[in-house]
Amino acid sequence: MALTAPHDERVARDFEPTPPVVTVRDLTKRYGGVLAVDALTFGLEAGSVTGFLGPNGAGKTTTLRLLLGLARPSGGEAHVFGRPYRELPEPTRRVGALLESGDFDPGRSGRNHLRVLALAAGITTARVDEVLELVELDRAASRPVGGYSLGMRQRLGLAAALLGDPELLVLDEPANGLDAAGVHWLRGFLRQFAAAGGTVLVSSHVLAEVALSVDRALVIDRGRLVATLAMSEFADPGALEQAYLELTGKDGS
Amino acid sequence: MIAQLRSELFKQRTTRTAPILLASMVGVAILVVSLHVFTLSAADLRQAANQPKVLGWGTTIGALFAALAGAIGITSEFRNGTIRPTLLTNPDRVRVLAAKAGAAAVAGLLIGVVAAGLVAALGSAGLAARGITVTLDAGDFVQMIAGGGLGAALWAVLGTGLGAVLRSQIAAVAGLCVWLLLIENVLIGNVPSAAKYAPGASGGALAGLMPDAGSATLLAPAAGAVLLLAYAVVAAVSGAGVLDRRDIG
Repeated sequence: MALTAPHDERVARDFEPTPPVVTVRDLTKRYGGVLAVDALTFGLEAGSVTGFLGPNGAGKTTTLRLLLGLARPSGGEAHVFGRPYRELPEPTRRVGALLESGDFDPGRSGRNHLRVLALAAGITTARVDEVLELVELDRAASRPVGGYSLGMRQRLGLAAALLGDPELLVLDEPANGLDAAGVHWLRGFLRQFAAAGGTVLVSSHVLAEVALSVDRALVIDRGRLVATLAMSEFADPGALEQAYLELTGKDGS
Repeated sequence: MIAQLRSELFKQRTTRTAPILLASMVGVAILVVSLHVFTLSAADLRQAANQPKVLGWGTTIGALFAALAGAIGITSEFRNGTIRPTLLTNPDRVRVLAAKAGAAAVAGLLIGVVAAGLVAALGSAGLAARGITVTLDAGDFVQMIAGGGLGAALWAVLGTGLGAVLRSQIAAVAGLCVWLLLIENVLIGNVPSAAKYAPGASGGALAGLMPDAGSATLLAPAAGAVLLLAYAVVAAVSGAGVLDRRDIG
C-alpha cells in the first residue's frame, strides 16, 4: 500500500520543484526618455508578506502593472508562478490584485461589479456573496459604486482580488481611505492569509501603514531597489523610519 | 470565450448606459421622422423615390446607436478603468475584444430592429395622416427591419473596433456621429457612385434604403452585407491588435 500514489495532492506536489511565487529579474520600463523602473530584481517566497515601499512616483505602481501583465517590460522579466501573468491559465485562481486606481463603473452596483468578474472567471455567485460578507459590504452591495466611500471602494476592490481564492495577493496602496479599524482589520487579514500559506505583496508610500504587517520590505526609489529591510532587524519603529528616510533621500539632509 | 461573452452581456445589463441609449434613440427617431413628414411637401412625399428620405432614417439611426453602443462598451472601460480588472481576469485580450464585439452585435441587432421598426411605423403613420400612400410593399418593410437589424449588428462590431483603437470615448462618439449623420449624407447626395461603397451606404443596401437614397442608388443587399462585414472585421481586427499590443496605463 505504501507504494500507491498519495491521495493528498499537496504531498504529490512536494516532489516537483515549485517555482518561486514571484520572480522579477532586471525589470526595466522606459516611457519615452523616462526610466520608470530600472533593472529591478527581487523574488517572493510562498507564505511571506512583503512590503513594497517608496515615495510617490518611485515606480511601485508601474512595477505591479508589469507584474500583472497590464504593461510590457522594456527589458527583463516579471514572472508569477514561473511564467508571465498573461500566460497563466486561470489567473484569478492564482493571483488576486487590488490596484490603486479604483477601477469601477460608478453606475454598476458593488455586487454586479463582482458578478461581471465572476462570470468571466467561471466563479459562482455564491462565492461573490461570500467575499462581500468577508469585507463587510453585503448590505451596501446592491447600491451603485458611485455612492461608495473611498474605504468601501477599497474593500470592494479587495473582495474582487479574493474572488478566485488566490495564492498570491498583489495590493497597491490598500490602506488608502481605510479608517483605523479598517487598517487594523486589513493587517490581521494579511497575516492570516500568509499564515495559511498565501503570499502577499503590498505597496505603500506610508511606512507606518505596512511596518506592522510585513515580514520584509523592499524599498525602491526612482525605479531602483535601494534596500531590502527585514522587519525583525529593527528594534523600534523610530530606527526603521530613520533607515527608510535615509534610503529614499527624504530625510531633509 | 463563452464565459467572457456572458460577462460582457451582463455588463450591458448592469449600467444605465443601455436604457439611456435606447431612450435617446427613440427620441431622435420621433424627432427626425416628425421633421421630415411635416416639413417636406406632399407632392414630394407622394413620389416613391422620395419616401426613403423619411423611412430610410431608420437604417441610419439604428446604425448610429448600435455603433455608439459598441464604442461606449469598450471606451467606458478605459474611461472608468474597469479594463484593468477585465484584463486581469482574462488576459487574452484578443478574446476579450471578440467577446465584446459579440455582445455588441447582439445589442446592435436589437437596436437596429427597434430603430427600423419604429421609423417605419411612425413614418407610415405620419404619411397616412397627411393622406399620402406609402409605395413600399410588405417585402420592402421586411428587408428594412431585418436588414436594418443585421446592418446595426455589424455597425456595433465596427464601433467596438473603433473604440478599442481610439480608447477615447469622446473621439469615438464624435467620429461616429459626424461620419454617419454628416459625411455619408453629403457623399450620397453628391457622389453616389463612390459613396455607395461607404459603410453607412453598405448598411443602407442591406436594408434597401437610407436617407436620401433608395435602392436604385445603393449596392445589391448581398454586396452591401459583404462590404459592411468587411468593414466590421477590419475594425475589430485592428481593435484587437491595438488592445493586445498597447500597455494599459
